[in-house]
Amino acid sequence: MSKIDDTRKGDTSNEQLFTLKKWNAVAVWSWDVECDTCAICRVQVMDACLRCQADNKQDGCVVVWGECNHSFHNCCMSLWVEQNNRCPLCQKEWVIQGTGK
Amino acid sequence: MSRRPSGQYNAGNNPHGLRYISLDQIWDDLQQGIYQVYTKQSMEKSRYMELYTHVYNYCTSVDQSGSSRQGPTNSSSSTGRSSIARGQSRNQGTTGAYLVGLELYKKLRQYLRSYLSDILQSGKTLLGEDVLLFYTRQWKEYQFSSRVLNGVCSYLNRHWVRRECDEGRKEIYEIYSLTLVIWRENLFRPLNKQVTSAVLNLIEKERNGETINTQLISGVLQSYVELGLNESGWSFNKIQSLSVYKDAFETKFLEDTERYYIAESQEFLSENPVMEYMKKAETRLLEEERRVQSYLHKSTQELLSRKCEQVLIERHLEQFHAEFQNLLNDDKNEDLGRMFKLVSKIQDGLGELKSLLERHIHTQGDSVIQQCADTAINDPKLYVQTILQVHKKYDALVGKSFECDSGFVAALDKACGRFINKNAVTVAAKSSSKSPELLARYCDTLLKSAKVSEDAELEATLKEIMTVFRYIEDKDVFQTFYSKMLARRLVHHTSASDDAEAQMISRLKQTCGFEYTSKLQKMFQDIGVSKDLNERFRAHISSTDSLDLDFTIQVLSSGAWPFQQSIVFRLPSELEKSYQRFTAFYAQQHTGRKLSWLYQMSKGEIVTNCFKNRYTFQASTFQMAILLQYNTAVTYTVQQLADNIQLKMDTLLQVLIHLLKCKILQCKEGVDVSNLKPEHEIELFMGYKSKKLRVNINKPIKMEQKQEQETTHRHIEEDRKMLIQAAIVRIMKTRKQQKHQQLLSEVFTQLSARFKPRVPVIKKCIDILIEKEYLIRVEGEKDTYQYLA
Repeated sequence: MSKIDDTRKGDTSNEQLFTLKKWNAVAVWSWDVECDTCAICRVQVMDACLRCQADNKQDGCVVVWGECNHSFHNCCMSLWVEQNNRCPLCQKEWVIQGTGK
Repeated sequence: MSRRPSGQYNAGNNPHGLRYISLDQIWDDLQQGIYQVYTKQSMEKSRYMELYTHVYNYCTSVDQSGSSRQGPTNSSSSTGRSSIARGQSRNQGTTGAYLVGLELYKKLRQYLRSYLSDILQSGKTLLGEDVLLFYTRQWKEYQFSSRVLNGVCSYLNRHWVRRECDEGRKEIYEIYSLTLVIWRENLFRPLNKQVTSAVLNLIEKERNGETINTQLISGVLQSYVELGLNESGWSFNKIQSLSVYKDAFETKFLEDTERYYIAESQEFLSENPVMEYMKKAETRLLEEERRVQSYLHKSTQELLSRKCEQVLIERHLEQFHAEFQNLLNDDKNEDLGRMFKLVSKIQDGLGELKSLLERHIHTQGDSVIQQCADTAINDPKLYVQTILQVHKKYDALVGKSFECDSGFVAALDKACGRFINKNAVTVAAKSSSKSPELLARYCDTLLKSAKVSEDAELEATLKEIMTVFRYIEDKDVFQTFYSKMLARRLVHHTSASDDAEAQMISRLKQTCGFEYTSKLQKMFQDIGVSKDLNERFRAHISSTDSLDLDFTIQVLSSGAWPFQQSIVFRLPSELEKSYQRFTAFYAQQHTGRKLSWLYQMSKGEIVTNCFKNRYTFQASTFQMAILLQYNTAVTYTVQQLADNIQLKMDTLLQVLIHLLKCKILQCKEGVDVSNLKPEHEIELFMGYKSKKLRVNINKPIKMEQKQEQETTHRHIEEDRKMLIQAAIVRIMKTRKQQKHQQLLSEVFTQLSARFKPRVPVIKKCIDILIEKEYLIRVEGEKDTYQYLA
């Protein structure tokens, strides 16, 4: 690997051989979860839960994380805690760490 | 009347005529009057009234001497005890006033009989049209006169006849009917053979093309119809029985018809082609229909049509079937239509034609595709258009010539389904899912081309696509390929029209339901969301510290997009800032999300400053990364590049080879480009030239195509297994217990809208479900499953 010689570098002032002008990037997002399936409704968390799919409310169906780091569909979990305020996976008391947005 | 004792009234001055008048007193004058009526002499109203009064007077005369009673009692020799019994009951019920009539009735009958036997004498020897002329004229006159007579005798009708009939006496008729009965006995019976055969002769003449006097026939037949009066009860002429018409004419007529057309059709067919015969049969059927309308009784219509159809069509069905194939081969649509119309008249006659049509369309489709298979396997447009040509042609045939008959539509559908899903192309590709793939690729080229923005054309083309789509068995394969290509179109902005894309999706949704297109729609949404996101990011950047390049991004939701996960790659430092800034920004906008970047899908523009001209390359991120390396050195070995960029060797080689081919890079002399080794050195080619200043050098890397296809198919297989299992569980949940065969067939019907499940796969799925304890086999029965709740 030989260095570009100084004279040429001088000729082109500080402009480089190749300059980037534009970048159109593509990325995918997903919920930052350990397990990608909701343990309550058995649907992938990236998809809306069954209830929301049936009611055609896909857009509002987000994910909720507990302090225990387990995650579920928010709607699934809010129904669950009405009966039992524990995480269905680890039986620890359910405390919300955050919800997806 | 009965309230008044008859004895109190004197004959002669009673206004109701309650006096005794013997038949002899009136008969002479009455007979003269009747003679006047039947010889059609003109009659004054007063004379008519006189005759009426005669009858009235006679009927209301009082039976003082009991002599009028003689009538019924005397005549009872023939009718037996019933009339005696009636006589007694009448004696008990009334106190002396009687309605009498039998004597008069018998006289009238006698008179008419002799009148008609005189007439018969003058017509007995006539034949042919003469007998028809004679019969119809006589009938008309007789009928008219009889109506007058009926009027004259209306008092007799209203009271005496009425009463007799009410009491159930069989052989007493209203006077007009009496005249008909007498005509039937005395004129029709001896003469009807001559008359009928004359009628049949005349009809045959007409069938042979001569013009005939149809009034003669209709006159005769009207008389036959009228003669078939219902003999039981008073209301005879309201319920006509057509017995006379049927016995004396219709039966013979139908026999004649059969004989005539058997002979004619055989002769005609021996000298003419079937097509000509069909024309002939068609006109014959029409003629016969008109015949009924113009001079036969309408009840004959059905029998005659059935007879003609039997003789003209059913007897020759085999010849028709043979000809049908020829007509199909020669595209004789009009004749096909004619044959359809004829054969559809025969019950269950069309079955053979349907299967012939189905077979024909299938072979046509097969052979047309066979002819272009070599090209079509890589030319979606040609493939789809070829299919459409066949479909269009036969769809038109079914619509026009076969009147959209449901059986023929089904035959078309079946044939198309067969040749579309299995033909020379799918055989060559060794996969029945080649058809959905090619159709999806056709959609792709179409939606990329600018042509689709023209509304009218778009509508038509989409309709065509859906036509083929409906026949595709593996709709899930189409879905997979379509979503892949849609994803590429959206990400690379190669769609010609959003509207066209939306229309296509809504059509798919119409056909296959919401679930089928939900991911496709989600992709559209993502593109919209990304637009907003970019705007917000731009605003965010300009308010803080701007980037040194034009950055845009599309953030897609994982799951909806059919992209493979990111490739390991070290982002060039020049892009690092954009990456960092956006990642931070995105985390601010959303919580709980992680981003993974698809570098293989990302691209950009790079400006050169080392060639003769200042070129702008449109390049992939990988190409950009390689070219940027040459900002710091002029030569790298392949291995060095791989280390710097951290790209897998086979991917790197693909990118490098393309750049070498574009003559942007070059190897040291003597190196075989197609066989690059890690130690080979690669440098910039300073002599690069291009006519355009903006050059698109981007070429999507092929992710080991074979492997990709394999994974695609594996995914499809996996998805299918899930769908089959879901279907089995649904079925078993409702049925609780089900036999193997029934379960299979229900699975087939549930899934046929999506794909055609294979039996071994279903069996495997049943096993999986047994293992998962959704089902068990019922003990003692080999082939029955039970659902476990």
